[in-house]
Amino acid sequence: MPPPPVNPNAVFLNIPYDEEFQSLYLAYIVGIYQLRLVPFITSGIPGGERRLDRILALIQSCRYSIHDLSRVEVSAAPPATPRFNMPLELGLTIAWAKLRPKRHTWFLWESTARRINKSASDLDGTDPLIHGGTVEGVLSQLRNAFLRDDAPTFQTMMEAYRLVESNQERILAAAGTRDLYSANVFRDLSFAAFDAAGGSNPAGGP
Amino acid sequence: MPRSVHITVPPLSYEAMVKLLRIPKTRQKQLRAMMDEARARLAAEKLNSTSVTSAQEEKLDNASAAS
Repeated sequence: MPPPPVNPNAVFLNIPYDEEFQSLYLAYIVGIYQLRLVPFITSGIPGGERRLDRILALIQSCRYSIHDLSRVEVSAAPPATPRFNMPLELGLTIAWAKLRPKRHTWFLWESTARRINKSASDLDGTDPLIHGGTVEGVLSQLRNAFLRDDAPTFQTMMEAYRLVESNQERILAAAGTRDLYSANVFRDLSFAAFDAAGGSNPAGGP
Repeated sequence: MPRSVHITVPPLSYEAMVKLLRIPKTRQKQLRAMMDEARARLAAEKLNSTSVTSAQEEKLDNASAAS
């Protein structure tokens, strides 16, 4: 089956869907829209044997991907189990990018500098972007990874983050869920982030 | 993996974006209104904190002038 067409603005976000990561998740969404790109996540892709095929198709349709391995750790709840989804999706992406280097570029993100050498030593020589586990770190590293001549300032990106964050509770309430990663909430957060980037302004556009 | 890439592609238009997000018109309106409210609220907060800071600075200046 031929791969899907590539969306040159699309960024596949390979991130943990957990409570501790919520503010960084929001920072990625807002920051990516601020840089005039569009994030995609696997939320909304149903389970089952075709899930992996759909994830691969999503990766193939995105020009870029961000793989945040900062929360690859052993779960606290018994039975203690390492979290493999993110490294698995990174593996799929690396293979795809090796096959079609002009179609895909991936970025590795971590919270601290040397964690990756311990968790995935095969990636030695790969220089991850370090966000330090903070919103500021994510936004600043997004500006470093995706260079644009018309990129907004870091302060503008922080203001956009605060703006979208201030509507987070209302968006969750409207969706009738506490799950920030659910498909409907992701859609609304995306629209809000697009609006914060000036995307809804018919005069100028983003 | 590169350290950075230079992005030159034009951003998606509003129409392309709403099509991609599959977001109904009514929800677009609600979210835009929500964002406008938040903008106004944050601007008012900023203004308020600026005037509080100015008042505090003025008070300190007056106190030091008096002493």
